[in-house]
Amino acid sequence: MAETEIKATVVVDARGLLCPMPIVKTAKAMKGLAAGEVLKVIATDRGAIADVPAWAGSTGNELLEWHEEGGDLVFFLRRGEEE
Amino acid sequence: MGTPEKLVIMVTHGPDDPELATLPFTMAAAALASDVEVVMGFQGEGCLLMKKGVAETVSVPDLAPISDLIGTIAELGGKLLVCWPGLKSRELDQEDLVAGAEIVAAARLVVEVTSATNTLTY
Repeated sequence: MAETEIKATVVVDARGLLCPMPIVKTAKAMKGLAAGEVLKVIATDRGAIADVPAWAGSTGNELLEWHEEGGDLVFFLRRGEEE
Repeated sequence: MGTPEKLVIMVTHGPDDPELATLPFTMAAAALASDVEVVMGFQGEGCLLMKKGVAETVSVPDLAPISDLIGTIAELGGKLLVCWPGLKSRELDQEDLVAGAEIVAAARLVVEVTSATNTLTY
């Protein structure tokens, strides 16, 4: 876990949402960010552990870090130059 | 991001198999969120999922419900193509279908499948 939490421009609360809605909400929110800005996503569906890195890789965005906080999965993603 | 990708998803199950009916919608929404073009083709029992009120009756644990995903898929630009013979044999027509569903026949689906980069069949 990072000592200092990364600062996010926008936070998506996807807790309680089932597959594939955490990714759908993440994609929608990312489109509202400028290149270089950071999105924080909080999810509880454990499919997100595999889905978020795969989605980031296929859309030109960067997964900076993820960790668990209690039962929550917390992801930090940086918007790429283009999606 | 390189060559545009297009996924065609054929749906052949409905209330007869809730899990196989739901998974194509799961995949469609995930693909659209990944900037992949999506066309869903409904045949056989799958046609029933496009009848108003039916999707709300089909769900499985741990997957977002079809009724929620249909709206997301339409919003993200996914196409919902329903095969006419499957509708006719179930005595359904355009006025019975959910908003956004388009009635097609085999040749149109062939055009979609042959122009896709990948196809999934459920």
